[in-house]
Amino acid sequence: MTRITSILATACLACATAAAAPPPADEPLDPDKAFHPEARLVAGDPVANGNTERHGIDIDYRIAPGYYLYRSRLRFEVSPPTLLIGAPDLPPGIEVNDPFIGKSAIFRERVTIHLPFVVSIAKPGRYKVKIIAQGCAEDRLCYSPFPQEVVVNIPPGYRVNDAPAPSVPRGIPR
Amino acid sequence: MKRWLPFVGIGMLAALAGISLWLAGRHATPIAPQPGPVDATPAAIQSAQFVDGDGKPRTLAMFSGKVLVVNFWATWCTPCREEMPGFVKLQSRWQDRGVQFVGLAQDDPAKVAAFSRELGINYPLWLGEAEVMALSRRLGNRLGVLPHTVLLDGQGRVIESRIGVYSESVLDSRLAAITGK
Repeated sequence: MTRITSILATACLACATAAAAPPPADEPLDPDKAFHPEARLVAGDPVANGNTERHGIDIDYRIAPGYYLYRSRLRFEVSPPTLLIGAPDLPPGIEVNDPFIGKSAIFRERVTIHLPFVVSIAKPGRYKVKIIAQGCAEDRLCYSPFPQEVVVNIPPGYRVNDAPAPSVPRGIPR
Repeated sequence: MKRWLPFVGIGMLAALAGISLWLAGRHATPIAPQPGPVDATPAAIQSAQFVDGDGKPRTLAMFSGKVLVVNFWATWCTPCREEMPGFVKLQSRWQDRGVQFVGLAQDDPAKVAAFSRELGINYPLWLGEAEVMALSRRLGNRLGVLPHTVLLDGQGRVIESRIGVYSESVLDSRLAAITGK
């Protein structure tokens, strides 16, 4: 009888403990922590298929484990608009196939997005890059489009070969 | 004959039931509604304007007197879509017991209509512009994430505000506790 009581008590305890478990401690991260961007002036980085050089702004994203950004939802705007940028150079990302929205690409872990200068020598000054991004925490929730802002300084006398070459890999496929 | 064997089985089943309950609720994160803002008063919640699939203006006031399950969602949000079949079942189960589900999205009307048809959504899916997420934030969704589900009483007062996937079984129990039915 003692054994039966013990078994039942253990079972009840397991049940009660599991049912009364508190919400998970892993609260969703603030967007800026889940998707952390940094801006970097870049020049002198040879383009793989030619002799010309890249010059512009690199946006380095560190993406928290378990989170991902939608590639096609990223938007960039530089202010003041005296600094002209061309179409963002987005790595292909990781292709995912959603049963409802079809194929799309996402970024995980780290990714660098290049915003090319339209003119070869940019005017010195402090520039803000406003980003609109959208992403999700895997299987848990998604972030509606959220604004972010990073700053890049172009020093006086800046020439396209002054900035260091980028050191961050461009997208890590998984 | 090992007479204790059935008891071990019962014990394991009970433990499994408990673990299942925990797993069912593990994705949802209850959050406290932000206190104070005038726009989140019951009157403001009930009078907020949206449009239905035909473009007709709608407000939550039309369901006054019912317990409302207001679900902020989007077609591009995979976790949102995963929880909605459960809401369809719950709407059927609770519709005669004073509970009404409403989906609110800032989204492409054509995509919402296609999704509604595909899943056989049996509750209103209304649309709006930026005011949808603004309302969601005023109801406690500080991070602006989806899905976000808010339970309102018959007078439009917030009973609960929760981000993340709300499992069918957990919400079913919650509705039973709220309505006493």
